[in-house]
Amino acid sequence: MEEAIIRLQNIHKVYQLGKVNVPALRGIDLEIFPGSFVTIMGASGSGKSTLLNMIGCLDSPSQGKIFLDNEDTALFSESKLAEIRGKKIGFIFQQFNLLQNLSALENVMIPMIFQGINEDKRKERAEHLLSQIGLKDRITHLPSELSGGERQRVAIARAFANQPELVIADEPTGNLDSSSGKNVMEILTKFHKQEKGTLVVVTHDPMIAKYSEKVFNIKDGRIVYNDVQKGEILWQH
Amino acid sequence: MATLIEYFKLAFKNLKTRQLRNWLTILGIVVGVFLVITLISLSGGIRDTIMKQLKSLGGDVIIVLPGSMDSPMSLVGGEQLSKEDLNIIKKVKSVDVVLPMLYSSKIMRYKNEQKIVFLTGIPWNEGIEILTSFQGWSLSQGKWPGSGKRELVIGNLVAKEDFFGKEIKPGEEATINGKTFKIVGILDSLGSKTDDTAVYLDLTIFQQITGDRDGGAQAAMVKIEEGVNVDKVAKDIEEALDEVRKRRRGEDVSSFSVLTSDKMGNIVGGIMGIIQASVIAFATIAIFVGGLGIMNSMFTAVRERTREIGLLKAVGAKNNAVISIFLIEAGIIGFIGGMGGIVLGLIVAKTIELYGQIYPMFYLEAYMPVGLIIFSLLFSILIGCLSGYFPARRAAKLKPTEALRSHE
Repeated sequence: MEEAIIRLQNIHKVYQLGKVNVPALRGIDLEIFPGSFVTIMGASGSGKSTLLNMIGCLDSPSQGKIFLDNEDTALFSESKLAEIRGKKIGFIFQQFNLLQNLSALENVMIPMIFQGINEDKRKERAEHLLSQIGLKDRITHLPSELSGGERQRVAIARAFANQPELVIADEPTGNLDSSSGKNVMEILTKFHKQEKGTLVVVTHDPMIAKYSEKVFNIKDGRIVYNDVQKGEILWQH
Repeated sequence: MATLIEYFKLAFKNLKTRQLRNWLTILGIVVGVFLVITLISLSGGIRDTIMKQLKSLGGDVIIVLPGSMDSPMSLVGGEQLSKEDLNIIKKVKSVDVVLPMLYSSKIMRYKNEQKIVFLTGIPWNEGIEILTSFQGWSLSQGKWPGSGKRELVIGNLVAKEDFFGKEIKPGEEATINGKTFKIVGILDSLGSKTDDTAVYLDLTIFQQITGDRDGGAQAAMVKIEEGVNVDKVAKDIEEALDEVRKRRRGEDVSSFSVLTSDKMGNIVGGIMGIIQASVIAFATIAIFVGGLGIMNSMFTAVRERTREIGLLKAVGAKNNAVISIFLIEAGIIGFIGGMGGIVLGLIVAKTIELYGQIYPMFYLEAYMPVGLIIFSLLFSILIGCLSGYFPARRAAKLKPTEALRSHE
């Protein structure tokens, strides 16, 4: 049986807003297998982004365990986590989060800097990725000189820069019009196929869920519909 | 090392954005460092100039002045050393020659121009040798005046065109107190503007034209025998003068000062030390206030970029990497600010020095040891780094999600 790349065990997350405790996740059990394309769906405030942050090791749970490649992430130090994020996980955000003072090319090269990859190789890889997303002739442009769709495509290229095992995307089309959104999703799926990683997308848009192989619905911090049966392997569906 | 270069590149790119803020921060450092450099280099320059003039006195010469060092006003007042005092000094063991000197500001007329000059009477017969061999006097033109003749030697600046409006040549005539004098010699520079703008003549002639005939002196330059301890002789002179005054005149306060160049150096050094200490204190406050400003703007700058820090952490930057990048940025700001302050400070100090060469009143050499420059530079880099470090560390410690949530 294939090992899950990421496994969540009874995950709870409580945010403290002033003196009030707000539970965002209330006991999530989840397994994601290598190579799959999974969508997490839910209304806003359902806890789906919080869940995604847990999967991406950007945040730690209040309770429960997260296993990445069978290793308990709670045991990792802060810098070990950063290293893992850099090496194994790519991120795509709703707000793109590109560095405004760097060109498209430089933005894509950033994650590779922290992996100690030399400049020539970084450039080669970044140029390759940018030409894949159709921005070959805009690599020197700053984010402010690009359209929203183009920015998100740069962000996708950045997420795939280090050939991560897992790419997570938080409402990747949330800030885009429908045609740019479609374009972005097509590129995401194309990359997912080419690079053979695992892709997890959070969205509230049912159109997007159509691209994926598996959908988790989340409501009030719980998974309400889960058709993953024990022993089933997603990518064989 | 390679990663450090990468961080430097990133830091430079970051600095290129937010230029206005960065330049304002840099300006804050420039002003602080500029203040420190100017204050220290000018006060140091004043000290050096005074010390240099004192050194020109020569080690084997003792100056005896009327009036006590304890009450400085009496040094300026009209007190004189009496003829008797001078004789007592002459009799002290190991004293070789005593040169009584008189001086006074007088109007000198050359052609149709009148100028106030510092007229100094020196007995040429005994004096020339001491002045030439121990004080470094030399003539650039002409000859030394004969004893008892109405002849003048003038300081090199007096001879220059911008003093009387016309360059003075030996052999020309000038009038002082209605008496006509022949200018026979022009001195080489003596190293101090006061000396270079003075006019020298034989002591007896000085006494004649000023009516000062009691044989006293406003100062006495004492040349001692070779190989004798200067301080010992100075002490002997002091004791001899003291004793005579107490015994014969019933005075119990010493109303004279015996100075060696070392002793004067100590006095001046002490005063200048206090001035410099307070200058440094002010400068420290200035740079501290500047530092607070830098910290403030660094704090805001880093806060604004919390989201960027979150992103860097999400794509694999460790806390140390984030802090390093911000530290490099802050250090560069400190470095540029420091350099700016140093350059500006040196320009101002040099300008004042240049001004002093044109207007003797302000004569001074700017003091700028390499140590001061290096120190200022390191200090401003340090201030920059410190003020960047704390906010960056705080931001770097946030979880990536928290940092990413913050609004720009």
